Order: sequence, then structure tokens, then C-alpha cells
Amino acid sequence: MTLPGPATLVYAALIVTAGLVAIVAVRPAVTATRGGKIFAFVALFLLPVMSIFAAGFEHVERTKRTSFCLSCHIMEPYGKSLYVDNPQYVPAAHFQNHRIPVDEACYTCHTDYALYGGVHAKLRGLRHIYIQYLGTPPAPDKIKLYTPYNNRECLHCHLGARSFQSNAVHMAILDSLKSNEMSCVTSGCHDTVHNIDSLSKAKFWSPER
Amino acid sequence: MTEPAMPLEPKLRLAGLLLLCGLLVAIVTLTWNAPLSFLVFSGIGGPFIFAGIVVYLYSLTNLHHN
Repeated sequence: MTLPGPATLVYAALIVTAGLVAIVAVRPAVTATRGGKIFAFVALFLLPVMSIFAAGFEHVERTKRTSFCLSCHIMEPYGKSLYVDNPQYVPAAHFQNHRIPVDEACYTCHTDYALYGGVHAKLRGLRHIYIQYLGTPPAPDKIKLYTPYNNRECLHCHLGARSFQSNAVHMAILDSLKSNEMSCVTSGCHDTVHNIDSLSKAKFWSPER
Repeated sequence: MTEPAMPLEPKLRLAGLLLLCGLLVAIVTLTWNAPLSFLVFSGIGGPFIFAGIVVYLYSLTNLHHN
């Protein structure tokens, strides 16, 4: 037996709340008694407040999903690059080998692992929505990061990992990596990232369903 | 001079209807997996629910008139 997920619980809360609200809306006379007043307070105040917070939380959680990011047409080539059959492609190697959660692949690497990283990621997301619907979205190959990719996002997982520590080169340049003096992805070591320009020539891995 | 109070029941109905609209928008947007769904949820569903709660709380402040 599997427990219902958070989304199911949110749906249930919203439906139950709607049902109780409907009772008060159809028969407001139920509030004539003391018990009815308490019922109305629960149905028209407590449950809606709790439900709206739960639904908002669920919406924010959903924005972390890979399928959410790839629901914008402009992101399609980036999603495709996760299936390139070549371990030199850093995102593909991470995605295909489950080194990152596959359901939150974009978010895992493109959020800042800092105090307000998640908040900044959400604000950038709102800007992307604005550009998508009210602005002029750039071509996929013209999309650039706001700032150079911070090694902190790589080191968040790799620092302290045996495979990372046992590599003599990593250990020799560790201080430069920590200070971003050298970049993991643009200093010539792991520089094949999404590279969507070369996807037309790439072979693709197709996972067995 | 005080305003004549609106009877409680229409206010509760109004609060209920606003809340129902907001909850319906919340349910629909949760089934819709697109970036626009969050904007519809927060821009339409949220204000409906907020208005419903405000109408309900306002009705409580006028209870003594009824």
C-alpha cells in the first residue's frame, strides 16, 4: 500500500473545503446555532486559509519539476540534451546516471546553494514567464546564464565525494575552484554542457520504459 | 449615525460564492502543468479567496445589527 502524495492531500483539502463552503453558501441558516457559527468559521476562514497555503506550496514545489521547466517550447533543446548518448555532456551524464534527482534535474543544477538561492530562482522564473508571455523570448541558442556558472553548485555535491577527492587535479586546484578563479565548466575540463548547437549530430539514449 | 446593516445571510452567501470561485480556480490550476497556472492561481484564485474571507470576517463585525 502506498501513501497518498502531497498533491493528493492538497486536492482532497481543496475539495473538502469547497464542499463545506458550499453548505454554508447554500444554507446560511445553519449559522443560527452556536455549533453552526463554529462550522462557518472553520468552513469560511480556517480551511480556506490552510488550503490556499497548501495549494500555493504545491504550486511552488511543482516549479522544481523537470517537466515544468521543459513545458516551455524554448527549453526543448535543453531537455533533449539530457538524453545525449555521450558521457562528455555533463548534464546528460548526471541525468542519465541519476546523480541528480531526474524529476528535478534543471532545478538541482540551476538554483544557487545559498541562503536565498531558492527565492532568487523563483524570481528569475517569474521574469522568464514575463518574457515568455509579454516580451520577446530569445532563440534557444541565444539563452545565456545571468552570471557565470558558480562552482559552488558543483561542489555542493562533489566536494568530499571519494571520486572527486581521489582526483589529484581536483585537489591541486581546489582553492581556485572554491574561489571561482577557475571554472569547472569553462576552464577546459568539463566544458561540454548542454551544447545545443551540436545536438543535430549527437546520438541519443532512449531509456527503457 | 450608523449605516443600515445588510442581513447576515446574503453576506455569508457572497463569501461562500467568492470562496468557491477561488477554490475552483485553485483546483483547476493544480491540474494544469504550465508556468501560467501559477499566475492564474495567484492572480485570480488568490484574490477570490482573500475577498471571500474578508466578506466573511466583515459579516462577523456586523453581527450585533442582526
